[in-house]
Amino acid sequence: MKKTNAGKKYAIFFCQQIDKNQDVNRRSIEKEFGPQIRFFPIPCSGRIEPLHLMRAIESGADKVYVVTCPEGACRYREGNIRARKRLLYTQNLIEEIGLERGMLELIRLKAGNNYTVDKLTRELLG
Amino acid sequence: MAHKYHILTSPTPARFKPITKAGIIAWEEGCLKCARCVKKDCVYKVYEKRSLDSRQMLDSLDTACMDCFRCVQNCPNRLIQKSINPLYKALGDNYWTPEIIENIWNQAENGRVPVSGGGYHGPFSGPGFDAMWTDMSEIVRPTRDGIHGREYISTTVDLGRKLMSLEFDSGGKLISSPPPLVEIPLPVIFDVLPWSPGGKGINLAFLEAARNTRTFAVIHQADFMTDMDEYVPNIILFADDDVLKLSKEMIRRLKIIELPDSGNVMAIQEHLKKINPALVIFIRFRLSRNASVRAAALAKEGAEVIHLTANENGMGKAEDPLFIKDRIRQIHSHLIEAGLRDEVTLIGSGGVAMAEHVAKLVICGADAVAVDIPLLVAMECRVCRRCTEGISCPVDLENIDYAWGASRIRNLISGWHNQLLEVMGAMGIREIRRMRGEMGRAMFFEELEKEIFSGMGIKGLINGK
Ligand code: SF4
Ligand code: SF4
Repeated sequence: MKKTNAGKKYAIFFCQQIDKNQDVNRRSIEKEFGPQIRFFPIPCSGRIEPLHLMRAIESGADKVYVVTCPEGACRYREGNIRARKRLLYTQNLIEEIGLERGMLELIRLKAGNNYTVDKLTRELLG
Repeated sequence: MAHKYHILTSPTPARFKPITKAGIIAWEEGCLKCARCVKKDCVYKVYEKRSLDSRQMLDSLDTACMDCFRCVQNCPNRLIQKSINPLYKALGDNYWTPEIIENIWNQAENGRVPVSGGGYHGPFSGPGFDAMWTDMSEIVRPTRDGIHGREYISTTVDLGRKLMSLEFDSGGKLISSPPPLVEIPLPVIFDVLPWSPGGKGINLAFLEAARNTRTFAVIHQADFMTDMDEYVPNIILFADDDVLKLSKEMIRRLKIIELPDSGNVMAIQEHLKKINPALVIFIRFRLSRNASVRAAALAKEGAEVIHLTANENGMGKAEDPLFIKDRIRQIHSHLIEAGLRDEVTLIGSGGVAMAEHVAKLVICGADAVAVDIPLLVAMECRVCRRCTEGISCPVDLENIDYAWGASRIRNLISGWHNQLLEVMGAMGIREIRRMRGEMGRAMFFEELEKEIFSGMGIKGLINGK
C-alpha cells in the first residue's frame, strides 16, 4: 500500500460469485491490514442497497468499493446493473450532503478473467 | 430415588446475527405494483421488519426468513428468489460442516434439542461416526412415563481406578483401601481447545459452565490465573508445563490433575498422590497404532484415568489411519482381553461434534468424552480458524462476557443431555455405565458390508477398499 493510503479505511463489498474461495483468499489481506479493510461478501452485487453504502461511510470508511461481475455474467441476470444504479443514486445522495462522490466507486470486472479477492484488493489499493 | 440431573437453560441470544443457509434476492425494478404485494403476506413479517446489522452488513431479510417460499412462489413477475448463502457454505470445513455448526448455534441459543420436522435428510451412511448405527429397538415401546417423567435414566459416571476385589486381614478387617473416585452426572468434560483467540473470557465461560453442570474443565497449567481460584473444584489442571512448579497447596486443593504421558508418568503420579491421596490422576496421550499396548501397560502399572485424544477431525497421529471410534473400540477390547478394562477409566476426545457422538463413543468403550470445539461454537465461533493465523476473530471471541458464554454452553450441554436420554431410552438402557462397550447394540457399516459382500467376492463398496 502506498504511504498516502496509510491509515485510510476501506470497505469492500463484492459479489461472491467472482471468487468461490473468497473466505480463504482474503485472509492474507485481513492479516496485513487488520481493521483498516473490511470485506463484505454479498450473494449478488444487486443486493447492495444505498443503506449499506451509507452505513459503511457512517462507520468510518474513507472509501467504499462495490465489486460486481462483468456485464452479462450475473447469475441473477441483472444484479450488476442494479448495483450500478444504486451506487449512482447513493453518490448523488452523498454529494448533496457535502461528501465526495468518489468515496463510492463501482468496480466492474472484465469478462474472461479469473479474479481472486486478494489480488483484486491489492490492485485497488495500488 | 436419586435427585434427577437437570440443567437449567435460558434463552441466550447471539451477539452477532447468525449466518443463515439461504438468502433472499428480491428486485424492485420491474415491480408490477400489485394491489397486494406478496411481501405483505409474509407470515413472519420479514419485509416489514427489515433492518440492517451494520457491524456485519447482514440484512435481516436473510436472517429472519423462515424459508417458506411463499413470496418466491407468489410474486407474479418472479422478482423474488432465494439462493444458498455462500457465506453459509464457507462455514467450517468438511468435518465441521455448516449443518453441525448451525445446529450447535441453535442449541446454544435456546437449549432445545434440534428437531428436523421433515425427517432425516442425511445420507444412509458416511465416514467416521456416520458409519455406526445404534440399536433403537425399544423406541417402539416408550417407557410408561417417558424418559423425562418418572423413569430415571442415569447418565452418571465415575472417573478413577476401580478395585477388582476387596482384601481382608485374618481378623476380617478390610485392608484394601479404595482409590479415589470423582463422580460426574454426565459423561462429558470440557477439554482444552485446539485453537482459540486470546482473552480469558473463554476459559472463564468454560469453568462457569462446568460448575453449573457439575462437571470439569481441563485448563492448561500456564493458563491458570488467580481469578479462576473459585473454580478449583471444577478444574482438571493439565500439567503440561512443569508439574514441579505446582505448589503443594494447589495440589492439595485440586481434585484432578492431568499429566501428559511420559516415561516417568507413574512416578509423577505417585509423587502427587503422596501430597494429596484424594487426587485423581488423568494420563493424556494421542491415539496411535500403539495406543492399545500403551493403555494396557499404564493400566497394569496403576493408571487411574486414561485420556485418549484425537485431532479436530477425530484422527490420531499422522500414521494412524483409524478414526477415534474405531481406535477406542480396539483399545477397549484389548483391555478386556488383558483383564484390565474395569480397573481404569477411559476418556476419549477429538472430533466430538454432536450429542450422538457422545453416545457412540461410550458404546465403543469410552467411559466419558471430552468436548472442545463445540463449546467454542456454542459461543458463536464459525470454525474459520482465523485466530490461528493471527487475524481478528469475526465474532470477537476475545472479548466475550463469560456469564453469557457459560449460559450458551449450558444450553448446549442440556440439549446434549436430553439427546443422550433419547438415545438411551430408545435403546432401553437406563444406566450409562451399562452402555459402555455395548457394541452388540450397535451396527458398524464396514463390518456389515464385509459380512454381506465378502462371500460374494465383492470388495468393499466404501472408500474403494
Ligand atoms: S420465503 Fe416465506 S418467510 Fe421468507 S420472506 Fe418469503 S414469505 Fe417470508
Ligand atoms: S470464529 Fe474463527 S477466529 Fe473466531 S474463534 Fe472461531 S475459528 Fe477462531
